[in-house]
Amino acid sequence: MSFELIASALIMGLMLGGLYAAVSISLSLIFGIIRVINFAHGAFLMLAMYASFWLWYFFQMDPYLSIIIVTPLFFVFGYAVQQLLIRPMFVREKALVVEPLGVLLLTAGLDLVLSNLALLCFKSDYRAVVLPMASTTLPLGFLDLNLPRSIVFLLSFVIAGVLYWLLNYTEMGVAIRSVGQNREAAALCGVNVYKIYSLTFGIGTAALAMAGAGMVPFYYVNPSMGLSLGVKSFIVVVLGGLGSVPGALIGGLILGVVESVTAQFVTATSSVIFSFLLFIIVLFIRPKGIMGMLEA
Amino acid sequence: MSKPDTTRVEGIEAGKGRRFSLGWWVVGAVGLLFLIIPFFVHDPYFLHIFVLMFLFAYLGTAWSLVSMAGQLSLGHAALMGIGGYTSTLLFMELGVTPWLGMWLGAILCGLVGVIIGYPAFRLRGPYFALTSIAFAEILRIYVENTEVGPLGIPLKAAMGLLVPLKGHAPWLFQFDSKIPYYYIAFLMMGAAVGLSFLINRSRSGFYLAAIRSDQDAAESLGINSLKYKLIAMAISCILTALGGTFYAQYFRYINPERAMGLSMSVEIALVGVVGGWQTVLGPTIGSLLLSPSGELVRAYFGGTYAGLHLFLYGLLLMVVILFLPNGINDPLVRAFKRLETKLGEAKKVRKETSPPGTRRRDKP
Repeated sequence: MSFELIASALIMGLMLGGLYAAVSISLSLIFGIIRVINFAHGAFLMLAMYASFWLWYFFQMDPYLSIIIVTPLFFVFGYAVQQLLIRPMFVREKALVVEPLGVLLLTAGLDLVLSNLALLCFKSDYRAVVLPMASTTLPLGFLDLNLPRSIVFLLSFVIAGVLYWLLNYTEMGVAIRSVGQNREAAALCGVNVYKIYSLTFGIGTAALAMAGAGMVPFYYVNPSMGLSLGVKSFIVVVLGGLGSVPGALIGGLILGVVESVTAQFVTATSSVIFSFLLFIIVLFIRPKGIMGMLEA
Repeated sequence: MSKPDTTRVEGIEAGKGRRFSLGWWVVGAVGLLFLIIPFFVHDPYFLHIFVLMFLFAYLGTAWSLVSMAGQLSLGHAALMGIGGYTSTLLFMELGVTPWLGMWLGAILCGLVGVIIGYPAFRLRGPYFALTSIAFAEILRIYVENTEVGPLGIPLKAAMGLLVPLKGHAPWLFQFDSKIPYYYIAFLMMGAAVGLSFLINRSRSGFYLAAIRSDQDAAESLGINSLKYKLIAMAISCILTALGGTFYAQYFRYINPERAMGLSMSVEIALVGVVGGWQTVLGPTIGSLLLSPSGELVRAYFGGTYAGLHLFLYGLLLMVVILFLPNGINDPLVRAFKRLETKLGEAKKVRKETSPPGTRRRDKP
């Protein structure tokens, strides 16, 4: 096992980890504020990627350019999902249940609906955009970095940074964080809790769509892809600490590195076992994740 | 003893004395009907639908034991897969009859359940739901891509395992007609419902109810919530593993996509949720409604519209959660209760109007 092999595995892992992080940040944000794990997370991502793909297919729009259309579109979508589907559950269960299992089931049902609707409409074909830049590489000493993957890696930091700024330096962000900390107290201070919930869900979905559009240049799009990336993001958010945006970033990078490095020793499919082992070990020794509950 | 106490005791006694329960009579009657159906119905396809109905009622009941502890599992298919794979591999490789192998699979699943449950149950929040779905998906991906597992176990990757055909061999859990499977599935369903009923009536059942309604309050009364969640999980896993063996033996084929996939996990959960999770009979009622309709949709549209039945399942799941959060069981029970009181009142009226001494019960 040469040094170069390990080093390149490490860097590949960081690239993969950037993708995982970009996909997981919004899941963690939504959980941190609303206390809901969105099981339809993977399906949302799949839809965003389809949106970006169809924009390219019909209008020859560059996937990176499509971010400016897909992001607001999915903000509205996320806002509507929270407002129309999840909010009624909160209103009903307000006094009864602190951890609403019903909401989990509702989002699991939504996941089935969306991914099978995509299967019915788009068929199970793997689709990919064809871009000349997709195979461009950046030379980096002994290994060449794939340009689109590097862009997603940077995009994950951009998303985390934008969310960080939004949460910490805007009035809306202060309101959002206050709801995440204590929704009764926030409501007493005049914050419209349900509106904040919808906004947060919209922002999270928009961030996810941004990551999805960034992935389109090198990632095949098909209706069942949401599940595997969804599961990965569940692992990432637990690794990083449920509810923490920086945690999701770090958790994503760790998962990517672990998968990439273990894949050097065992087959790639067996390396998924290691990512689950990592998940279980973190649950055992540091259940609050690497960053604990930062926003909570 | 103070006065309020005696009245309460009397109240309980009066309640116990009322043996007339319409709901359970209906359950018994439907059960009897199921017992005699194979004498009249010989069409294998109809029997097949009944077998599926019983199997999913059984799996849903096993699943609901975890939800009775206030936890949501979206990975029960993995346990089913482990059970089915264990018994089938033991049979294929070592010639162990599935009747025996199923118990080894069950023990294995019980252990797996405790290992997964222990770290996740200690935490509040959706950790267990996340763990269960991650576990099931990763196990599925692993089996789907592994030709030969550790210790040389031939997992056969996505192709799945074919149970070697032995013709009519009751000792090997293989029958040449659907009727034995029908009765085995019926018995399994009955046993699971009975077990769920007993657990609900036992001290552990009350503990579980307390934990799921308010864990802090339950713990402040000295209930070890982790222990009871783990017990519920272990029982549920063991039952699900046995169901997995039945599945493998009945279809004579088991593959990771179907037996470990998320769609199976959701189908199991859906049966419970639609019928009424956290109730004894809910999953059975859910399966009676869902399994035949799901099978018909799949049979008629599966070829042309792949994914349609899962789309409908998802839609149904959302509608039920939004508008009928306690499942169909809830309005049914209420309707029965109303009917019961009405019938009970009619009985009372009859009793009061009939002349004294004409019935045995009136003797002092």
